[in-house]
Amino acid sequence: MKIRSALISGALLLLLVGCAGVKVTPASQAGVAHQVTTPATTTVAPDILAQQPGGEVTTVEPVPRPVMSSNRAVIALLDRAGLDNKAGKRETAGASLERALRIEPRNPWLWLELAQVRLAQGEYAQAITLAHKSNSFAGRQPRLLSESWQLIGQARVAQGDTAGAEQAFKLAADFAQQAKQP
Amino acid sequence: MKLPKFALNSYLLKFKSWISGYKFKIPQFNFKIPGKAMRVTALLLLLGISGYVYYLDATIRDAFEGRKFALPARVYGRALEVYPGLKLTREQLVNELRAIGYHENPEPKAAATYKLTINGLEFTTRDFVFGDGLQASQHLRVEFAEGKVSTLQELASTDRDIPLMRIEPPVIGGIYPGHNEDRDLVRLDQVPRPLIDALITTEDRKFYTHWGIDPRGIARALFKTLSGQRIEGGSTLTQQLVKNFFLTSERTLTRKANEVLMSLLLEMHYSKDEILETYLNEIFLGQDASRAIHGFGLASHFYFDRPLDRLELHEFATLVGMVKGPAVYDPRKKPELVVGRRNVVLKEMAGQSVITQSQFVIARDKPLGVVQRAPTGTSPYPAFMQFVYRQLQRDYREEDLRSEGLRIFTTLDPFVQRQAETALQSRLGEIEKARKIALNTLQGAVVVSSTQTGEIQAMVGGREARFAGFNRALDTQRPVGSLIKPIVYLSALEDPSRYTLITPLDDSPLVWKQNGTTDWKPKNYDHKFHDKVQLRTALAHSYNVSTARLGIDLGIEKILDKLPKYGIERRPLPYASSLLGAFGMAPIEVAQLYQTFADGGFRTPLRAIRAIVTADGKPLQRYPLNVEPVAAAAPVYLLTTALQGVVREGTAQSLNNWLPPDMNVAGKTGTTDELRDSWFAGYTGDRVAVVWVGRDDNKPTGLTGASGAMTIWGEMMKNIQPEPLVPVMPEDIELVNIDPVKGVRQEEGCAGGVQLPFTKGSVPAEVAPCAIASTPIQKTVDNSGVTAVVKPTEKTEVKPGAKSEAKPEPEKKSWLQRLFN
Repeated sequence: MKIRSALISGALLLLLVGCAGVKVTPASQAGVAHQVTTPATTTVAPDILAQQPGGEVTTVEPVPRPVMSSNRAVIALLDRAGLDNKAGKRETAGASLERALRIEPRNPWLWLELAQVRLAQGEYAQAITLAHKSNSFAGRQPRLLSESWQLIGQARVAQGDTAGAEQAFKLAADFAQQAKQP
Repeated sequence: MKLPKFALNSYLLKFKSWISGYKFKIPQFNFKIPGKAMRVTALLLLLGISGYVYYLDATIRDAFEGRKFALPARVYGRALEVYPGLKLTREQLVNELRAIGYHENPEPKAAATYKLTINGLEFTTRDFVFGDGLQASQHLRVEFAEGKVSTLQELASTDRDIPLMRIEPPVIGGIYPGHNEDRDLVRLDQVPRPLIDALITTEDRKFYTHWGIDPRGIARALFKTLSGQRIEGGSTLTQQLVKNFFLTSERTLTRKANEVLMSLLLEMHYSKDEILETYLNEIFLGQDASRAIHGFGLASHFYFDRPLDRLELHEFATLVGMVKGPAVYDPRKKPELVVGRRNVVLKEMAGQSVITQSQFVIARDKPLGVVQRAPTGTSPYPAFMQFVYRQLQRDYREEDLRSEGLRIFTTLDPFVQRQAETALQSRLGEIEKARKIALNTLQGAVVVSSTQTGEIQAMVGGREARFAGFNRALDTQRPVGSLIKPIVYLSALEDPSRYTLITPLDDSPLVWKQNGTTDWKPKNYDHKFHDKVQLRTALAHSYNVSTARLGIDLGIEKILDKLPKYGIERRPLPYASSLLGAFGMAPIEVAQLYQTFADGGFRTPLRAIRAIVTADGKPLQRYPLNVEPVAAAAPVYLLTTALQGVVREGTAQSLNNWLPPDMNVAGKTGTTDELRDSWFAGYTGDRVAVVWVGRDDNKPTGLTGASGAMTIWGEMMKNIQPEPLVPVMPEDIELVNIDPVKGVRQEEGCAGGVQLPFTKGSVPAEVAPCAIASTPIQKTVDNSGVTAVVKPTEKTEVKPGAKSEAKPEPEKKSWLQRLFN
């Protein structure tokens, strides 16, 4: 399983270099990557991606993230979590996000950020559930849903669920497309 | 008591002759009688003594090393996060600060002081190491407007707005080493000099020069003992320390001899500073219910509510004076005696020129200054602490919990806890009085958690919340009755091809037969059968017959198989009666079940601990938020709609006496056979809470879920001021206009309809024309048979969370009706 994940990750990285971030490539069932055209999507902090298997980096960000909260306390905690994450302090980052969630328990961005932290920690099942939970609060926010499905795809790749990952990436692409529409 | 002089002299003579006889005989034994046997005996004796000394040495070293670091685990409640926009009043914040020992001060620049301002509060926090690091002391200003925090500023040379701060969390308990010893460890360099001076002057002036014992003191003690007076003191600090290690009231010469030997041994192994530091942390200084106060660090907080370095000379002298016997010299019980003793200490200090005469006079004239407060024992929240403790025991060794000085950050919210305790206590009293039930026969339990994070905010294990007795929130297993019904309905709604909220259910008489059991014929609470009822109505009025039939159709085993997913470990018998809750559950388990409904089908294990940090501030373990998908969002959304119906028009309608209808609470009443158990479980936008009421002897209470538990739930929530319940509508749900009486879809424009949610694909295809030009009277029948006549309204929105602009208002009921509802 590990070898397979590594192969997939390697294949993805190679492709990413070639694709300049415009195309996101989920792995196929056979473990060989094939291209699925998607718009540039994820805004996942690159430092997280750098350390996760199956991480996919896109450099183009056509739709900027909206303000993730109107509450300054939540923003402060998000900033703090971001810094801790950069420093590799996942646990502390998670703790700050949980603090933010106590203030805004229905903010989908916070759940998504927590999912990112879990993904970086290698807790794939938990990352997927948290992303689903984020989706449950997302309503019609294609920008957010796109990121969330992207994350689910990444976690599934890491779990070796290539078919599931492909489905997730497709959804991510669809939502990204929607997000670009005015 | 003093003996007359002649008696004393005669004892003295006896003692002298004993000593001289002893001296005289030993050489005779050793040298005058030759022989092998004697030499062997002497050798054995020598070996025996060495062995014994070796044993004492090991014992005392063990005790010293062990005790040196024996620190209780400190358990904290949640830290209050303050930020602009937070729902908080000035009074609440002041209460929070007072509870953690803040004092009012016109210039609140020292840590833990505050002052009231026109719109708010100015205060300075303490340095505090949280689970995620140090938060340094801050001088702050908080202002309030309309029940919320409007301004949060840090005051420095220039004031600046800050987005967020945390107040230090309250200590809610400890897990103490043997004998329930509690202490706040202090290092020698943190201990103010006047305290050490006072201690040494009063207790052991030769401390820095002796070898652990004071021969003259011992001689004096020995003399007094042998002369028949009380066996007493003459103890050095080292000896007192040894004595404290082996707390026994035994006063014998053997013990004294062991004490002397051990003191000598202790001084051989450790420096004076080490011994003094251990003494300062070890000495017993009072009793707080079941908790023993050890060491000057904790005593300083316990008696003066301030850290040691902020005490003054007269306060040091008070503490030192108490060393002699804290049970006798208890400043709360015998202030005058303690003032006298304090002044003796001060006088000794002045006499030894440790302090000046003027210092002496100033200190002597000061009042005692001990803070009065009710003893809290080991924790004011024993039920919650028990939950924490059980969780800890799974992950830690008992001895580590009791000695490593762990700092445990928990989820308890003292404000919510207080509302839960008060509501339970006051309502039970009121109910007993109103219904002429013998006083103090009703018991109850409450659990409150936060919806999305699964954190337990309050737990009450009985009427006497401070009493650490039987914890009914965790350990009582009572039949849950109708509280279990939502599982049956959720199972139905998970199959939208067969069941929607308006699917007619059969409420006609039912007989359930199973080999080996007698026939079971469920009845409704109102002793009537209702023929065909809409699914949502059957749940709203908690009809037993239609629910049982629904469950049998779906498959009893199939439904019961789902329970473990919701965190219910026990397996009820596979009988139809189990679907009506004929099996026991603890309130905490019910809370877990409803948490999953409240959280859109995600199960978040209820938790009480957030993080554990070592004594020196290193994070040891986190208990992160974990979420598990258990049920799909759409059927849970439908279930929530139906449970909101329970409150809007069903058995819990009278909850509106406590909470406004636009709170849109979802909940369920539970009543068991012969009214033995009264339950209510429900949720708002941010909280899930469960209340159980019953009797410990399991006799009938005369209470339904609505007349007992629900009233406590309502009273508590009214004071907590929760958020309204507005669940997010899942993508695969759509709203359709339904004729509420006939349970058929009607054209969207029709008046008198209700908007009900359906899973996409299950919406009735047939659309009836508007049923009514003139709208009919809608009757709702509640559990007690009281009929509420509800005026028809304009189109009523029934989707969860919708603001009920045109909600049918239940008729105001009389006090009597409410009680019986």
